[in-house]
Amino acid sequence: MSGRAWERETTSASPGASPPALSDPLAVAAAPAGTSVVPARPGAARPGMSLQRRETLTALASLAPAFLLIAIVIWYPVAKTFYYGFTNWNGASAKWVGLKNYTKILSGPEFLSALRTNLVFVVAIPGILIICVVVSVLLFEQAPGWRFFRSVYYLPTILSAAVVGLLMRIMFSAQGAMNDILQSLGLGMLTRDWLGAPNTAFVVLVFVFYWQTLGQGVLIFLAGLSSIPTDLLEAARIDGAGWWNRLTRIILPLLVPAIAYFVIFNMIWAFVGVFAMVYTVTNGGPGYSTTPIDLLIYRKAFEAGQLGFASALSIILFAIVLVISAVQIRIFDRLTTD
Amino acid sequence: MQMRHASDWFARSATVAVLTLFAVIAVYPIVFMVLSSFKTIVEYINDPVGWPATFRYIENYQAMIYRFNVPRLFGNTIWYVLLATVLSLAVSVPASFAFAKLRFRFSQGLRTLMIATLIVPAMTLLVPTYVLFANLGLVDSYISVVLIWAATSVPGSVFLLSSLMRAIPTEVLEAARIDGAGYFQMMRRVVLPLSGPGILTVTIFNVTVWWNDLLIPLVFLQSDETKTITVAAATIMGRFSSDTPMLITGLLFASLPPILVYIFLQRYIRRGLVVGALK
Repeated sequence: MSGRAWERETTSASPGASPPALSDPLAVAAAPAGTSVVPARPGAARPGMSLQRRETLTALASLAPAFLLIAIVIWYPVAKTFYYGFTNWNGASAKWVGLKNYTKILSGPEFLSALRTNLVFVVAIPGILIICVVVSVLLFEQAPGWRFFRSVYYLPTILSAAVVGLLMRIMFSAQGAMNDILQSLGLGMLTRDWLGAPNTAFVVLVFVFYWQTLGQGVLIFLAGLSSIPTDLLEAARIDGAGWWNRLTRIILPLLVPAIAYFVIFNMIWAFVGVFAMVYTVTNGGPGYSTTPIDLLIYRKAFEAGQLGFASALSIILFAIVLVISAVQIRIFDRLTTD
Repeated sequence: MQMRHASDWFARSATVAVLTLFAVIAVYPIVFMVLSSFKTIVEYINDPVGWPATFRYIENYQAMIYRFNVPRLFGNTIWYVLLATVLSLAVSVPASFAFAKLRFRFSQGLRTLMIATLIVPAMTLLVPTYVLFANLGLVDSYISVVLIWAATSVPGSVFLLSSLMRAIPTEVLEAARIDGAGYFQMMRRVVLPLSGPGILTVTIFNVTVWWNDLLIPLVFLQSDETKTITVAAATIMGRFSSDTPMLITGLLFASLPPILVYIFLQRYIRRGLVVGALK
């Protein structure tokens, strides 16, 4: 029985030593792959080999369906997208055009305008970050009923972005609830056709983004705060450290991993997660002023039929996400090795 | 207990006031949906914010059931989500088990490959998948949606489940082995029962994501009777956009299941955020 893999497992990878969930993919990549070596002792070689082989076969059979599904529905289409990015594909025929799609994308106005839309959401991240951190700290420090508040803040997060988008489109329409509320608060000069002009349309989009993100941020930061030892804060309080000092000297430094996580998650979201929201709130308008990259891909592919152009554009989007993910891996590497 | 100083009391009141303000902002649009669903068009146009004249005006609700066949839309969505859940778990659970508890060559490499698949944006695979499925006659069929939902959920599910399955005591698996349990018996008697909470967490997470998804069903399901409730709210009911209270009632219907799931299963949803954060 001693040759059984289950047993070796306990010595080489005890659960207690497993890395925290967040940094896991990085840790996996960095971990030594020494366990795959089959013991070369002559006497034990044959039975050991066959057991090892049987376990390998079991493992591969367990993995095969998952990898098959991913290969067919994800990898193969992505490879095709990559190929079709170099063609003028229209669904039926595809002629190789080299880098023409890419030069057209990078020199034309559409991509830059779409990129600008995505960057508006990136630039908006610090705002919601500050709100989330402040709310979380207030909840953590003293609020009675913090569980209740946390639940309420998370409610918008579980709703469909499409449903929320349509609802906000209704609320921010010229005759909508928002203008009514502003009127009754004596802020009549602020009423306007919110979705009628690019700038205010962006204000509405960022509001929707904030509205759906508060709950997520509070959840992440409360989790981060709960790992701060309370006696540390108590000691600081006894030493006469004021609220501001406790916040900047103790709480914020310990929240850095959670903040990095929140920022990077939302940066990726700003490029690949905004479709449903923008599609329903502004539909990219007025004109094309609030069209992000993924909505532009959708329009080019499913409305204009320029599948080659859309493919090249989605490869660029993929590349952007890859770069952000690479930065993420670097940052988490640094945070976890410290 | 620390209300000795007036300033302390003031700080605390200010804190609660700020937190309450955010709570009101978070809840108001949901309350707005409920209130508007009891209004006639005229009533809504005259006063979009106020209380409805009566809560006994249920024509909007009747329209949901008779004109838009919401039961059918709910049925569609539940059916697709159920199939995707079964398919997703059927491939994710064995794969997670292999990564967590089996030793084999390339284990690390394959797991990294699997997790790296998490970052592929859905948009990048959409166009060729659409053409592929169109050639197979699967466009406007729920099979396309189920396949894409299930496949895109696998990396995240495997990531979370394999991390959790590492905690299954090796002795238990060993004991089952000695008792002569084969692979499927071991799965059914040991792995599945011991992974219950993890499986529930990823399932609730996936179900919420699929219920709320716009892009995939919007692209792949074109005829009205195949649509999911979320897409129907954005498309079919949008055609009646002049009847705002009715549209809002549709949005409310689409939101009710996620809200109910959240109220009863909060704990699992919060845990699922770990997976969600990676997408």
